[in-house]
Amino acid sequence: MSIFNADLLPALLAGLGVAVIGAPLSVFVVLKRLAFIGQGVSHAAFGGVGVALVLGFAGSSAVDSVMQSVIVLGFSIGAALVISALGRSNKGRIDTAIGIVLSASMALGFILFNVAESRHDHDDHGHAHGAHSDEHHVIEEILFGNIANANWNMVWVTIGTGVLILTALWWFRHKLIFWSFDEPVCAAYGVREHRTGNLLLILLAIAVVMAMQVVGVILAAAILVLPGAAALHLSSRLRIVMIWSIAIGLGGTLLGFIVGDGAGWPIGPSIVLMQSIVYLVALGSNKAMGALRSA
Amino acid sequence: MNAPDTNQTPAVEVESLAFAYPPGGVGEPSIEVLRDISMRIEPGSRLGILGPNGGGKSTLIKLILGMLRPSAGTISVFGCTPDQARRDGLIGYLPQRIGADLDWPLSVEQVVAMPLRATLKPWQKLRNEDQASIDRAIELLEVDKLRDRRIGALSGGQLQRTMIARAISTRPKLLVLDEPTLGVDIAGQQRFSSLIDTISAELDLTTIVVTHDMRALVAVADRVACLSRSLHFHDTPEGLTPAVLAQVFAHDIEPILGAVHIDAHTAADCDDPAHAHHPDCGYNHKHKGGAS
Repeated sequence: MSIFNADLLPALLAGLGVAVIGAPLSVFVVLKRLAFIGQGVSHAAFGGVGVALVLGFAGSSAVDSVMQSVIVLGFSIGAALVISALGRSNKGRIDTAIGIVLSASMALGFILFNVAESRHDHDDHGHAHGAHSDEHHVIEEILFGNIANANWNMVWVTIGTGVLILTALWWFRHKLIFWSFDEPVCAAYGVREHRTGNLLLILLAIAVVMAMQVVGVILAAAILVLPGAAALHLSSRLRIVMIWSIAIGLGGTLLGFIVGDGAGWPIGPSIVLMQSIVYLVALGSNKAMGALRSA
Repeated sequence: MNAPDTNQTPAVEVESLAFAYPPGGVGEPSIEVLRDISMRIEPGSRLGILGPNGGGKSTLIKLILGMLRPSAGTISVFGCTPDQARRDGLIGYLPQRIGADLDWPLSVEQVVAMPLRATLKPWQKLRNEDQASIDRAIELLEVDKLRDRRIGALSGGQLQRTMIARAISTRPKLLVLDEPTLGVDIAGQQRFSSLIDTISAELDLTTIVVTHDMRALVAVADRVACLSRSLHFHDTPEGLTPAVLAQVFAHDIEPILGAVHIDAHTAADCDDPAHAHHPDCGYNHKHKGGAS
């Protein structure tokens, strides 16, 4: 089976699209130390899925999927803003805020999954057993991704979201860079710190929800860290770092598809594994260059 | 944008200014940092603000920069509100600690250009005159050989010069320096003050230097304001007597010497009977036989 067969094409395109969205953001995430916020946001999204399921939006029709996405997105953006507000009010102890939001959302999500499931059992006694394994499969897909089943709708949504996020990043690039580089001073030059910070968090939350579709809740934050982390080892020019980051995101995703599809591994985790290997290579080459220079 | 006439309007005019931080928790009182501050800073002058830690120095300059809003009173900078002055690039600012993230893959020139870039519309490029003032700032601070160097690869002194270049890149009329010589040796302070001389003359700047270091202050300033919650003194550095300093630093000195009682009470502000009961005046404190 080739990754270029028609069945996998929407999945591949959606995966590459998410890589292009995540890569430039990942540079900000790494430099501004937002990696753990990304984790908090993706896990909060799990709570969002639980809420959507209990409200009856199981994603079986187009309207259902849209409603589910809106609820999940709302949860993620809300979580990002709550985390940053708690971090600010709690003398910058943002890790505590993340720890609380992350675990509370996971707990809420899992409970709501069970509520939705038992309601389902109740409605439909005859298929209780089948429904059970269905629900568990759904949870696994949410946690580790389900990109192989992506359809063309997902491709269009990814392209639309990508255009939105990349345009916003480009539009506000000077302010975002100033804020990320020197938050205590940017206000003296008219860059509003909270507004700019929240903008980056909202973009991050949207990207996390997109990344979830490809690699799932547990691994979503990885796509928003690995390419930037690797790229920062390869250049000290911001422009070049951005280009490397996108190249690594795309390359790692493509490799993940090839390896995952070839070996019969789940695609999402394969992508994260490949990007991690690229990261190690970048780190190694940076260290090797440093050793060469000092030798 | 019509530039105000900087030769007639005061550079900074502060009237009956007060500032309090909101309460730290429910039921706690708000924390008063500044009260009843009035002062006028003439264009071209160099004001040193001296005072103990926690005396409100940094708060006062954050108010002048428009980063905080006064609880009472008014501030104008070249006749504008601080916000307007900032939008017009009239104020340059060097923070106390360089809190910038030096891991960023940015060059010296990119950092110096940041304030002007932040004012651009997304599709605009820097205008020629803006690029010229960035180049000029880089030259004045003698970092032209480092302009392509990564910001994280600079020495402490080079980094500070880069940050001052950033502060003057917008062609400001007022330069605010918060504790610029903290941890710098005497030779470094002298170099620093001659540097400030050069750029002030070149750019026709009014400067405000905040410090708790007397030596640095005398080297850089032609006017001194002593600040410990309220304004204790505002005159030329020659008027600074031990008595004035003892008053201003009363809170710092008390734990070592006991309450400071000053007979020759020279500061005009504290001669005012209404003011003499001010807790910062060192007058009304428990007199437990300290230096008199």
